[in-house]
Amino acid sequence: MADIFINKAPKELAVIPFYGTAALFFVLLCTLLFFSASTLGGHYFSPSILAIVHTAALGWGTMVIFGAAYQLLPVICERELYSTPLALLSYFLLTIGTCGMIWSFWWFDMGWLMIVSGSCVVGSSYLYAFNIYQTSNESNKSQVNQHFLLLSAFWLCFTTTVGLLLAINLRYQFIPRNHLDVLKLHAHAGIVGWFLQLICGVGAKLIPMFLLGKSKKTQLLYAALILQNVGLILFLADGYFNPIGLRTLLYGLLVAAGTVCWLLYIIDAYKHRARKKIDLLMKHAGLSSLCLSFAFLCIPIVLISSQTKWASLYGSLIFLGWITGIILGKTFKTLPFIVWNSRYKTLNGKTKIPMPKDLYDEKILPYQYYLYLVALAMLCLGIVLDQSFLLKIAGVVWVVVSLLYGYNVFRVIFHKNQIKL
Amino acid sequence: MISLTNPYAQEELKANIALMEVIDPELNINIIDMGLVYGIDFSEPQTITVTMTLSTPHCPMGDAIEQGVMNVLATAFPKRQTKINLVWDPEWSIDNISAAGREQLGL
Repeated sequence: MADIFINKAPKELAVIPFYGTAALFFVLLCTLLFFSASTLGGHYFSPSILAIVHTAALGWGTMVIFGAAYQLLPVICERELYSTPLALLSYFLLTIGTCGMIWSFWWFDMGWLMIVSGSCVVGSSYLYAFNIYQTSNESNKSQVNQHFLLLSAFWLCFTTTVGLLLAINLRYQFIPRNHLDVLKLHAHAGIVGWFLQLICGVGAKLIPMFLLGKSKKTQLLYAALILQNVGLILFLADGYFNPIGLRTLLYGLLVAAGTVCWLLYIIDAYKHRARKKIDLLMKHAGLSSLCLSFAFLCIPIVLISSQTKWASLYGSLIFLGWITGIILGKTFKTLPFIVWNSRYKTLNGKTKIPMPKDLYDEKILPYQYYLYLVALAMLCLGIVLDQSFLLKIAGVVWVVVSLLYGYNVFRVIFHKNQIKL
Repeated sequence: MISLTNPYAQEELKANIALMEVIDPELNINIIDMGLVYGIDFSEPQTITVTMTLSTPHCPMGDAIEQGVMNVLATAFPKRQTKINLVWDPEWSIDNISAAGREQLGL
C-alpha cells in the first residue's frame, strides 16, 4: 500500500494566488523604482522609499514566500497543510493590506487607511503563523528546517505588529523611543527574523533536493539558527534601550556567522551533489547569496558614514539583490510543479504529457537572468555614484525584468491541459 | 535484474518496459533508470505488487509517480490489480541510477 507520506501536494488555491499577485506587485515595484529614481539615494524615511520598501517586502517577498511556504511546508513536515481556507484568507488580507499601505505611504496619508491596512497585514501574518504552527505541530518529525520556519513565522508576527504600532505612532504618538530607531528594529526583525531565517530553512531543504546532493552536517544548520536568533535578539534589546551604534556590528557579526554556517551546509551539499550541471535558475539563487554577503559588508559603512546612499545600497542589495534573486531563481523550480500536478498527474504514464519545465518559456530565462544582472549593477552603481540618469535607466531595465518574469508566471498559471483521452 | 529462473520473468520484463513510461517529472527520466523500483511481484494471483521508493520520503511528485505506475500497469496487465508497497529502506541514493539514467542526467 502507498505510504501516508505521499499525496501531500497542497491545493492550488493555497499557492497559486500568491505567485500571481506577487508577480503583479513585482511589476508595480519596478515601476515605482523607475518613477522614484531620483530619490533612491536619499533618506529612507521618505514617502516614495517607504512605499517601495513595503511593496518589495510585503507585496513581492512576503507574498511569494507565503505561497512557497504553503506549498513546501507539507513537503518538509510530511503532513498536509492544516487549512487551505486560512491560507486563502491570509492571501486576501495580505493583498488588501499591502495595497492600502503602498497607497498610504506613497501619499504619506497616515490616517485610518494606513492603520486598517496595517491591521490586515498583521492579521494575515498571524493566520500564516497559526497555519504553519498547526501543520508543523501535527508532524511526527521534528527537523531543523521546521524550527527555521516556525521561528521565522514568529518574527514575521513581531515585525508586522511593531510595524502597525509604528503606523499608529505616526498618527497618535505614544512610543517613548525615537520613531526612526524603532523603525530600524522593525526593519531588521523583518530582514533577519523573517526573510533570512525562512530562506535558510527552506533553502536547506530545497537546494540539496534540486542538486541531488546531501549533507550530513545538520549541526551547521542548528548553529545558524542559534547564531541568527541570538544576534537578532541582542540587537533588538540593545537597540530599543540604547542608540544604534557601532556595537551593532557585533550583533551583525553573530548573524553573519550564522549565515556562514548555513552557507557551509549548502556548500557541503553542493560538493556532494549528483547533478553536475548547474542551470540558470540555480545560478540566480547562487548570485543572491553573493548579494547578501555584500549587504553584510555594507553594515559598517552604513553605521560609520552619514551619507544616506549607503543605507539605500544596503536595502537594495537585500531586497533587489538577495530576496529578488532567490525568488526569480526558485519560482520556476516550484510553481510549475503544483500546476503540473493538478493538470497532468492522472495522465502520467497514459500518454505523452508535457513536463513541468514545459509549462514556462525556457528561452526567456537567460534574458531575465542577464537583464536582472544589468539592472542590479546599474542600480547599485547609480546609488553609489549619485547618478539619477543611471537609476532611471536601471528602473527601465527592472520593469523589463518584471514583465519577463510576470509573463512566464502567468503562462504557467493559465496553462491548460490540451490532452484529451 | 530479472532472473531467468523466475517463473514470472516474462511478466517482470513486460512490467519493467511498461514502467519505463513513468517519468519522474523533476528529473525527467523514467523511474526504472532512476532506480526507484526495487521489485515486482507476480506471485499473488490477479495482483502485481510493486515495491518501490521515492528519491525523498516527502517527494511532492510522489503522488504523480504512484499514479503513473498504476496507469501503465493497468494497461499492460488489465486482469491484475496493482498494489504499491512504498519503502524507505534501503533509502534511495544516486547509486541507484542506471548507466542510461546517468547519461541522461549528465552525471
